[in-house]
Amino acid sequence: MLAFIIRRLISTVLVMGLVGVFIFLLLHLSPGDPAAIIAGDNATPAQIAAIRNSLGLDDPLHLQFARWAVRVLNGDLGISIFSNVPVATLIGQRLWPTVSLAFTTIVLAVTLALAAGVLAAWKAGSLIDRLVMILSVVGFSLPVFVVGYLLIYVFAISLRWLPVQGYSPMSDGFWAWASHLILPSLALGLAYVALIARITRTAMLDVLAEDYMRTARAKGVATGPMLLKHALKNAGVPIVTVIGIGVALLIGGVVITETVFNLPGIGRLVVDAISKRDYPIIQGVILLFSGVYVIINLMVDLSYTLLDPRIRY
Amino acid sequence: MTRRATTSRRTFLKAGLAAGAAIAAPARLTAQPAPSAAKTIRAVMHGDLTVLDPIWTTANMTAYHGAMLYDTLFGIDANLETKPQMVSKWGASDDSKTWTFELRDGLKFSDGTALTSDDVIASLKRWAARDGAGQHMMQRVSVIAKKDDKTFQFILKEPYGYLVDALGKTSTPLCYIMRKKEAETNPMEKITAYVGSGPFLFNEAETRQGARYVYDRNPNYVPRSEPASGLAGGKVAKVDRVIFENMADSQTALAALQAGEIDFYETPPIDLIEQLESDKNLTLEVLNKTGNIGWLRMNFLHPPFNNVDARRAMLYLLNQEDFMKATFGNPKYYHKCGSNFGCGVPMENDANTQWFKEAPNPAKAKAYLEKSGYKGEPILLLQATNIDFMRNAADLVAGALRSIGATVEVASSDWGGVVNRRAVKAAPDQGGWNLFITWADGAAVSNPIALAGHAATGDKAWFGWPSDAKNEELRDKWATAGSVADKQAIARELQENAWNFVPHVWLGQWVQPTARRKNLVGMLPVPGVVPFWNAEKT
Repeated sequence: MLAFIIRRLISTVLVMGLVGVFIFLLLHLSPGDPAAIIAGDNATPAQIAAIRNSLGLDDPLHLQFARWAVRVLNGDLGISIFSNVPVATLIGQRLWPTVSLAFTTIVLAVTLALAAGVLAAWKAGSLIDRLVMILSVVGFSLPVFVVGYLLIYVFAISLRWLPVQGYSPMSDGFWAWASHLILPSLALGLAYVALIARITRTAMLDVLAEDYMRTARAKGVATGPMLLKHALKNAGVPIVTVIGIGVALLIGGVVITETVFNLPGIGRLVVDAISKRDYPIIQGVILLFSGVYVIINLMVDLSYTLLDPRIRY
Repeated sequence: MTRRATTSRRTFLKAGLAAGAAIAAPARLTAQPAPSAAKTIRAVMHGDLTVLDPIWTTANMTAYHGAMLYDTLFGIDANLETKPQMVSKWGASDDSKTWTFELRDGLKFSDGTALTSDDVIASLKRWAARDGAGQHMMQRVSVIAKKDDKTFQFILKEPYGYLVDALGKTSTPLCYIMRKKEAETNPMEKITAYVGSGPFLFNEAETRQGARYVYDRNPNYVPRSEPASGLAGGKVAKVDRVIFENMADSQTALAALQAGEIDFYETPPIDLIEQLESDKNLTLEVLNKTGNIGWLRMNFLHPPFNNVDARRAMLYLLNQEDFMKATFGNPKYYHKCGSNFGCGVPMENDANTQWFKEAPNPAKAKAYLEKSGYKGEPILLLQATNIDFMRNAADLVAGALRSIGATVEVASSDWGGVVNRRAVKAAPDQGGWNLFITWADGAAVSNPIALAGHAATGDKAWFGWPSDAKNEELRDKWATAGSVADKQAIARELQENAWNFVPHVWLGQWVQPTARRKNLVGMLPVPGVVPFWNAEKT
């Protein structure tokens, strides 16, 4: 097991290295000149050339890459070419809104989806089952921004129950923190509720048809423990897999959600950086994202051994 | 018997709560008392503030930031007239070659240190190294000399009537006055400390780059005694804090405005204006009366637009009404304009505008295009698809050209791609271009020196690289003219000549209404920046 973890961690570094090279080349070979964007539209070509030179963007590509790679290996993600703020500082400032959003979304999605999936499987073929399936199709089909605007209109503008936008740290109070995350988490989580609920239902239906479940029923195990302790745990592997995929996909979803709800998170940081061609930020955030992806996959793999003792690495 | 390690629900919940607390904890560790909501203005501006050095870039957001932090020697008032701001007295020698300026009493920086002539001279030099008007001015300056801590002089090689106007112009970069320490930074590098001379100070601790920018009232600022007017008069900060919230999504910004979470929105989408007009809690007002002017730039280096007849064809071909209607819809917020200096400004005139009266005249346009020797070669038009006006305008230009038999290739990309390619001087089939579309600030367009695009200096000119010696002679003449009447007369000559050699084509002029909560009063109308001094919440 330890050897497996070490192997995977080494592969994480390799993956991040490859991602780094790929992103660097992609950014520098695609059209767009940060110097021209920095200079503004009224700047002359000479002014833009001077800025490009001062930023080192005139240097050969391999030299620029070497400079960046050496810095990254020393733990320095560089400095934003627009704001002069270190990329690590910017990521630090933006990390907590994103982590908060991802955390509340996953908790909300997993809680609702497991309940809905288990219920639908238990009452398979009933009205509840059909209702859950219809809602999951709707949840999966609606784009995040449509759900977001609808939620804003109903709960923030019409009812005035919740704020339209923004983020409040927990140091401002739990309710201030939570109230700013309820609508974004609902908007972002709806698709994941749908996805996880469907997988949960399917996995549960398979397990509920097993002989040992019939035996449990025959022995008089109560419905609750039977569903949660016997069935859900045994249906856990595909559910955890899809939750893991969901967490990884979430990184893409937060970009839109953070924009719609004006959350100052990592997603908006990287989108703004892309539109401005702020290379150090884009490279730093993509490296972070790739590391998170690999680590989530590692955690999912490890969790299999907890759910199914037959799985060993 | 060994007990298997299991996770109980209780343990799981505890772990979950602990994780939640850990996630939320690293927020603000030291709480600072924030000003009350009544003394705080939350504003959503047109974009993100990406660069904090207002001399280093011409970006408008940075000019707004600069106006909060730094004062200017002169400023234009609501009537677009240049008035003294940091200066108390000034005057020229009899030969108009020596100009003496005296600073107001008690001027200080936000850190409490005295503001002296040394700071002003260093700031002037750095600004002039970056600004087109500043460079034009410095070609006529022998030396800027300190007389004493409050007095400095411009010693000129020749009379230069534009001097005071250059120091007070609103086109970016404005001539902001910084500490000598920052002003001595290499003009090609950005400053890293933001100690201001203006009515607000920059609260870096509360600022989150890319999310919000916080400005607090500068207790060391001494405003003028006159009433505030544009960028002139008493810049009295009536609120304790102004926050620029960076909201990327216009729908969210509108919802936040309607819910009272923000007080001011600079650029509500024009197609939602009617919805805002019906909200009794909101006020709509155009603050920048000179607005913006749509701009078609033609490449003088390559056929067909290296021939003046092809450029004339464009004047007669395009109907400004189409361009304005396609993007802005409501005629209340746009108009056609044939003046080379924009409309509603002192330099507006109607010299040589026969084309404007006739356009669109496709037959005449076609005749001019044929006269230019055009034989159906592809015309490469750069189109920025991520900006409504630019995307729509490119479609209209391509359609109009095709209607008179031209072959048009549209190269679509985001604005970043256009910005990259427009700098390429090579032939269109080798990565260059023939046409691209942008817009310019109306106040900048109104000034023959301030707008880089008015220069026709060939290789050194703005993208398109127009070349015309008479244009440059007349620009110099305009800059040295003393009175407004003289300048207006020269502006007519400039325009007469411009619409003969056709450096560009205007696509219409529009204004952007701002939206704000009704209880936010005192916003000052002025082009170039959005001032927050004088503004307060009732």
